[in-house]
Amino acid sequence: MVKIDGVEVKEGFYYSKDFEWLKVEGDKVRVGVTDYAQKQLREIVYAELPGPGTAITQNTPYGTVESVKAVSDLVAPVSGEILEVNTEVQSKPELLNEDPFGKAWLLVVKPANLQAELANLMDFNKAVEWHKTLGK
Amino acid sequence: MTAQAKKTQLYEIHKKTAKLTMFAGFEMPLLYEGIIAEHLAVRDNVGVFDISHMGRVTISGADAERFVNYVITNDVSKLAPNNAQYSVMCNEKGGIIDDFVVYRLEPETFMIVFNASNRKKDYDWISGNSKNLGVEIKDVSDDVAMFAVQGPKAEKTLQAISTADLGKIERFKCGSSRLADVDVFMARTGYTGEDGFEIFVWDSPLIKPDKAVKLWNAILEAGKAYGILPCGLGARDTLRLEAGLCLYGNDIDENTTPLEAGLGFVAKLQKEDFIGKTALVAQKAEGLKRKRVAVKMAGEGIPRSGFEIYDEKGLKVGQLTSGTFSPLLRCGIGMGYVPTSLAQEGSHVKVKIRDKLADATIVSLPFYDPEKYGFRRKTAP
Repeated sequence: MVKIDGVEVKEGFYYSKDFEWLKVEGDKVRVGVTDYAQKQLREIVYAELPGPGTAITQNTPYGTVESVKAVSDLVAPVSGEILEVNTEVQSKPELLNEDPFGKAWLLVVKPANLQAELANLMDFNKAVEWHKTLGK
Repeated sequence: MTAQAKKTQLYEIHKKTAKLTMFAGFEMPLLYEGIIAEHLAVRDNVGVFDISHMGRVTISGADAERFVNYVITNDVSKLAPNNAQYSVMCNEKGGIIDDFVVYRLEPETFMIVFNASNRKKDYDWISGNSKNLGVEIKDVSDDVAMFAVQGPKAEKTLQAISTADLGKIERFKCGSSRLADVDVFMARTGYTGEDGFEIFVWDSPLIKPDKAVKLWNAILEAGKAYGILPCGLGARDTLRLEAGLCLYGNDIDENTTPLEAGLGFVAKLQKEDFIGKTALVAQKAEGLKRKRVAVKMAGEGIPRSGFEIYDEKGLKVGQLTSGTFSPLLRCGIGMGYVPTSLAQEGSHVKVKIRDKLADATIVSLPFYDPEKYGFRRKTAP
């Protein structure tokens, strides 16, 4: 893990430019929002997520998170079918501020076209360089 | 090229301690620790806001009372010196030019404190209507720093740095005082729904911010024992919305009248003559087509300004003018306008949140229980 301007970037994750992370777990992937995203939003009070069975498409919005002041789209880092939704985040959205890479995962997805789509994401090293270009 | 941001006397402090935002041309604190923590500090204990960005004019002279009564809708003829009242001023059509608090400083001197976003418009409107009258109108905005100390522990906090007995100052009373050896003017007013004071630091221009800085630090020090937090514009907005207070530019503007906005109590239609009177009297006689209402979400979802309001049959009936997540009630709340027939407490409506119609109810204001929160609370904190 490295910290850039106080923002964590973790090894073992892929990153999208829509501030989501993706972790490959066998033939499934786990999806969430990055530390940068939660720090920008601050005080997340609401997460709207689709249910299991829903199809999501890479680079397309699938839900929203809201802070007191702002609404932000959740944009899918991968295409596929939702297998699991983290209901704990729906009842305790503040988890997104506390543990974005861990307890606050959002979805487990059965990817449709993983190898091709991973090429559209940043690996850890690329994500570190990209985070350096982001403002605070 | 963009115009340079205006700053308040406390800018150097805010820059180090707050997340800043642009508001009405000013670089202002949006939040320090966080909107929710700051909001709850004010509801439960005490918070302090820098509101130096607001507009302030003094109106003085032999015709001051007559002139103020002509420009604003409320009645200052019975307002004694060292008293304040909430009012609006309207255009000829009855549309609200701004809302503000007017203070009677002396028999022939008034001060109006209005929204930062309307500084120039209000000054121009007031001075433009004063021709041929014996009044002097002075914009003192930039010479005065202004803080709001709000919450159930506001009096205790300020008592620690005051020699006067603050318990004797009733709501909407005001007067000269001294806090932490700084000369101030204090009023028991605010924009949070809570008890509290608004403090004017005279003779404190940007180039000489030392008195303002000294008092700000003294208030934070005095409030430490009560859990004081410095609060930004984020909490200021959520607090006023929970209390049901209008934000100019959102809930009221030149296309809304005080009657539609539920501010009829500041429109004294029996008063002699004032700008907008004819239109307001006519509107009252005709009956209102729409009214401002408070909307509370039944379930999940956060309403936002601009979201549409629907009736139970799915017909669009209005629009929200403010909306947020209520840090105290932990649910979505908003205000907006609906036809008068729907504007009743308990009416069921729907708010379109993105592509879904979410259930909501029209409720009374404030959103919180006034026996437990706000300046009328019965339970001691």
